[in-house]
Order: sequence, then C-alpha cells, then structure tokens
Amino acid sequence: MKALVTGANGFLGRHVVNALLARGIAVRAMVRPATRVEPLGWPASVDIVRADLRTSRELASAFDDVDVLIHLAAVVSGGEDAQFAGTVGGTERLLEAMASSGCRRLVLCSSFSVYDYTATRDVLDETAPLQQTPDVYSRGGYTVAKWWQERVTRRFAETHGWDLTVLRPGFIWGRDHGYLAALGQQIGRHHVVIGPLTRIPMTHVENCADVFALAAADPRAKGHTLNIVDGPGERVWTYLSDYISGTGKRGFRLPIPHWLASAAVRLAFVTVFRRATKVPAILTPKKFDAMLKPLRFDNRRLRETLGWTPPLDYQQCLARTYGPSPAPAEALASWSSGTAASTSAQR
Amino acid sequence: MKAALIGAGQIARQHLACVNTLPGVQLAAICDLSPATAEAAAERYAIPSWFTDHRTMLETVRPDVVHVTTPPTSHFRLAIDALQAGAHVIVEKPATSTFEELQTLTLRARQVGRHVVEDYNYVFNRAPQEILRRIETGEFGAVTHVDVLICLDILGPDGFADPNAPHPALNLAGGAIADFLPHLASLAHAFVGPHRSAQTVWSKRKPSLLPFDEFRCVVEAERGTATLGFSASAQPDAFWLRVYGERMQATANLFETRLTFDGPRSVPKPLRPFFSGLEEGSDIRRAALSTLLRKFKGPGAYEGLWEFLALTYQALGSGAPLPITAEDVLAVNRMVEAMKPTERVAIKELAI
Repeated sequence: MKALVTGANGFLGRHVVNALLARGIAVRAMVRPATRVEPLGWPASVDIVRADLRTSRELASAFDDVDVLIHLAAVVSGGEDAQFAGTVGGTERLLEAMASSGCRRLVLCSSFSVYDYTATRDVLDETAPLQQTPDVYSRGGYTVAKWWQERVTRRFAETHGWDLTVLRPGFIWGRDHGYLAALGQQIGRHHVVIGPLTRIPMTHVENCADVFALAAADPRAKGHTLNIVDGPGERVWTYLSDYISGTGKRGFRLPIPHWLASAAVRLAFVTVFRRATKVPAILTPKKFDAMLKPLRFDNRRLRETLGWTPPLDYQQCLARTYGPSPAPAEALASWSSGTAASTSAQR
Repeated sequence: MKAALIGAGQIARQHLACVNTLPGVQLAAICDLSPATAEAAAERYAIPSWFTDHRTMLETVRPDVVHVTTPPTSHFRLAIDALQAGAHVIVEKPATSTFEELQTLTLRARQVGRHVVEDYNYVFNRAPQEILRRIETGEFGAVTHVDVLICLDILGPDGFADPNAPHPALNLAGGAIADFLPHLASLAHAFVGPHRSAQTVWSKRKPSLLPFDEFRCVVEAERGTATLGFSASAQPDAFWLRVYGERMQATANLFETRLTFDGPRSVPKPLRPFFSGLEEGSDIRRAALSTLLRKFKGPGAYEGLWEFLALTYQALGSGAPLPITAEDVLAVNRMVEAMKPTERVAIKELAI
C-alpha cells in the first residue's frame, strides 16, 4: 500500500509520515520545492515529490501507484485571501490531478473550526451543527479556508465516487506547539485565562498522526467523518500549568470566569464594535466561542468506528512535548529498514 | 449599472466591498479560474452568478463595467475581451505588462466608445486629495517638488519572495517593485504633471529571489520635479508623501492617516517653528487615534480605492469626465516606462 501525503513536512505531516512507516505503509511525501528535507531524517524509502499546490503545473504524476491520498496541506499564515488561495485553490488543483489518476481513496485533514460552536449545546461531537454560509465568512481566514476545503473535497469525492474519510482534529499540540488558542489571551509572558476549568478539545500530534495512518489503512474508515480528540481534554488551568512548567516561561495568570468574559465580549460587540467590520478575534463572539466555549468533547465515534485508543497518555504526551528530544536512533526505531534519506540524518 | 469582476483574489475584496455600497450599481457576476474562489466571493458578497470562464460571463451577463483584478500579465487580454463585449474597464495597476499593450488597449477603448481606467488608489486617499484641494485654492502655492518613498518589507517568505510559488509580479521588468511603480508615478503625475525625463537607480541590497529591492528615481516633470523611491529594507513600513509648494509644505504617510502642513503664520518669524511644531504635534496625535480607529472599520489604507471607484461610477453614470482619464493613464505609464530598468541602467549590488 502506498500513501501520498501532502503537507508532509508540516507539524502534523512529519508525524503522519512516521506513523504510516510504522504501519508498513509506503510513503510518497509531497513537500514544497524549497523545503529542506534533510533535518526530517526520513529514510530513503520515503519517496519525496516536490510541488507547490498553488502553482505547480504537473501534479498528476504524484499519484502514480498511489492507493490513498492523505491531504494535510493547508496555508495557515498570511492573510485571509492567501489562506483561501493556498488551502482551497491548492485542494482544487490537487484533486483535479487525482481525478485523472487511478487513486480512489482519500483521507482529508479538516478541523474542529468547521463546527458552529455558538449553536452547539453541551457536547461537540460529529453531530454538532456546522458553520453555514454566509455566517462562516465572519469566522476568519483559517475557518473559511478549512470549511471550503472540506466542501470542495466532498464535492470531488461525490462526483468521482471516491472513498472519503474526513478527520477533524481538535487543537493539535506537541513539541514547539504547546501554546493553544484555547488558553485565552497571552500578553507578553502573562496570561488572561478565560474559563480556567473549561476542557480543551485536544490531541497530541503523535496520537493524531496515528489516527491518520489507521484511517488510511483500515477500510472501516471509508465514508466516515470522525473528530480526533485524545479524550475529554485537560482543563485550561491544568494544561497551562503544564505548559508553563514545561517551557519555563513563567508569568502571571489571571483567571476570568468564562461567563463574565463572554458577557463582556458580547456587550462590547453590540455597543463599541457594533458598526466595526474588523475586530480582533477574541472580541468577536463567534470566534470567542470557537476558542473558549466550555463544551464537552469525546472520541466515541472514533473509538467505535476504528477501535482506536490513543497510543500515548497525557503524561507521555507531556514528556514528548517538553522532555528531551528523542535521539535519532530512537526516532527511527519503528521504521522499516533502509538508509536515511538525508546525509545529515546519517551523521 | 451592472458590474462584474474578473479575478477574485486579494484586491478583489476591496473592489467588491466598495461596489456593494455604491448606489445604482449592481454586482452582477464574478469570475475566477478557481470555482471555489469564485463561488465563495459570490456567497460572501451576495453576487447572483459566478463563472470560471470570463468570455462566458461577458456573454451571459453583458456587464456595463468590468473590473480586472487578476495578476498583471493577464490584464491586457481580459481587458480587450471586456471592451469587445461592450463594457467599460477598471483595471488594477499595472494595467498592462508593456506600454505597447496599453496603447493598443486605450486605442481599442476609443474605437468601441468605452473607457479604460487604471486604479491609482493612493491619489484618492484623503491626504493627497486635501493637498490637491489646497493647491487648487491657491493656499498651497505652486508645487515645486514632490517626494514619494514607499518603505515596505517585501522580502518575507510569504509574499513576493516566496521561494515556493514565484509571485506573478516577478515577471514584470523590475520584478516586485514594478508592481509599485504606478503608485509612485500616479502621485508624481497628480502633483507635477507628465514627466519630461527620469533618472533611475535600481539596486539589490539583500539576497532574495527579487531582481531588485531598492529603487530611486529623479523625475523632471512639466510643473516641477519629483523624487520617487521604494525600499524593501527601510523600516518601519511607511508610504511617505512630501509635497513642497511655494507657500506651504505637506507631509503624509499614506499607510496611516497622518497629514501635516507647514506654512506661513501671522506670528513673528522666530516664533514660527515653535507654533508650527505645536500644530504638527497636535495633528500627529489626532492622526494616531484615527489610524487606530480605522483598523476596526472600513477600507483602511484602501480608502482611496473606494473614493476612486465611487467617483468613477458617478462619472460613468452621468457622462461627466472621469477622475482618471485615458490621457492620465497614458501619461502615468509613460513615466512608469521611463522608470523601468533597461540594459543601459547600471545595476548596483550593495554589498551589505
């Protein structure tokens, strides 16, 4: 079995490549032309294809002999239009290329941001209401792009009769990505913690990557939409404490009850910012909810569909995130034999 | 009037948001090569139809005005097609890749009795318009010199210098900076008229994909002189406009709302700098507040684009003279042409 992974050198992508290799799945890793792959330490068995989904003219050959596409690529920086062009336009180009190939299986990395948090009551699971047009356009560039990426992908899958699995991770965390928008507002080294007891819909990057590899390999995933969270989630205060102690970035923490902050944001929105068209995310009720609304989360459908349990528990995740970096030999241990793809990894 | 856009990328957002507010103008259609981009723009701005083929759109919708907001190298053929379909054309700068294309375009517009207007949005920002108003009233005195300098970091990996996806503007002579020449030339033209001669220095200060990242030009024009410049290294980002008149001087930062004047005062001469400084400080404080507030609402630094579009549609609707005429467009682009790097221009590598 061979998987084409887009965004393979990204934060999630590099772990998905590892997880696929660990399951014995051959990997073709799509990276942007200027990407340095040597620091990733991939073995020679990883077939690297260089392309930028925004501009590359020839994408069809990337699908040669590919059984499943794992589409992770998204533009998460820059303005709203740059994100849309990169994430959605790139997906259109990629899937047009796939349509001309023999590949019929697709796993898409979507996002919790496609859900309408404001309309969701109590539990956010796969049955929760989704963002609707035109409201979605008030949710910011990342949400608009991910919402449209999922929409475009579903249309392609339906048109071409592909087997589609949509995976929607919550907040993905891991080494160098410990700080989450769910923690409130950071001011320098200090934190305004909104809703300290709120649980965070979170998944450690290695657990999340394991789900992608499993979904690619397991036919039971076909046709499903699954949220990825490791469990009910840590509370904001607990997670922030672990972040502070793990990173050593000490600062004051000012806890504010969620109901108070929510009321203040809504009051400001209907008074001060009533006619404003550009308001910071945390002062926009819908974006505020998407970052901070206290809801319950579970991974019941993921467990029931794929029989998945997170390979790493929270303490192990903390160690992986804030502990010493694993030695190259340890990182390579689970991979199939083969020489390293890069000279630097061999050193 | 029915308006349609070709190209739903970044700058299109400003056109769409503005046209949606104009009385008597209906946004009828939008076209983009990416179906999702076109459909998303149609949803967001309540546009009744969207297309991926501009000829189909032109035939189906028969718009009165077409905005061309695609990458520059595609402007010419799209604008020609729009004119052929009987529409006026508002084209983003730079209107065409070459001056020959522009001549062909303006000629075709004349032949079919339609207008081609290039967007010189910064000329229509509040500050240049206020300076022009004072010149008009005689309060400012005749302009002797204008100095325009854009300081903008375009060397970051996400923009013009993206190593993965070369920006379309890099295909223009002069590379990314060529994208800004119409801004410089249109402001110079607004204050000192068509150019007679131009001396340029194109240089590269830092390693990047860009052929040039610094540009300076001295222009001798019909009514005065101009110094025009672009710096990718000078920080912070700013768009300085300084106009020197026979009675007054004005300074503006077009990325902000800052505009100050210095002129004659009815105080003893030794006290003039003191009172000028007080007034300038007060103007800068007010501008600081309004720059902050405009971040929450409205087009921000694109205020001139909104004003330009409003005036253009007003003129098209009433048959009045356009705020930017074909002669203006040709004169500005002659200046742009004179500023472009040629083989005769020595390219100086600054070893920094």
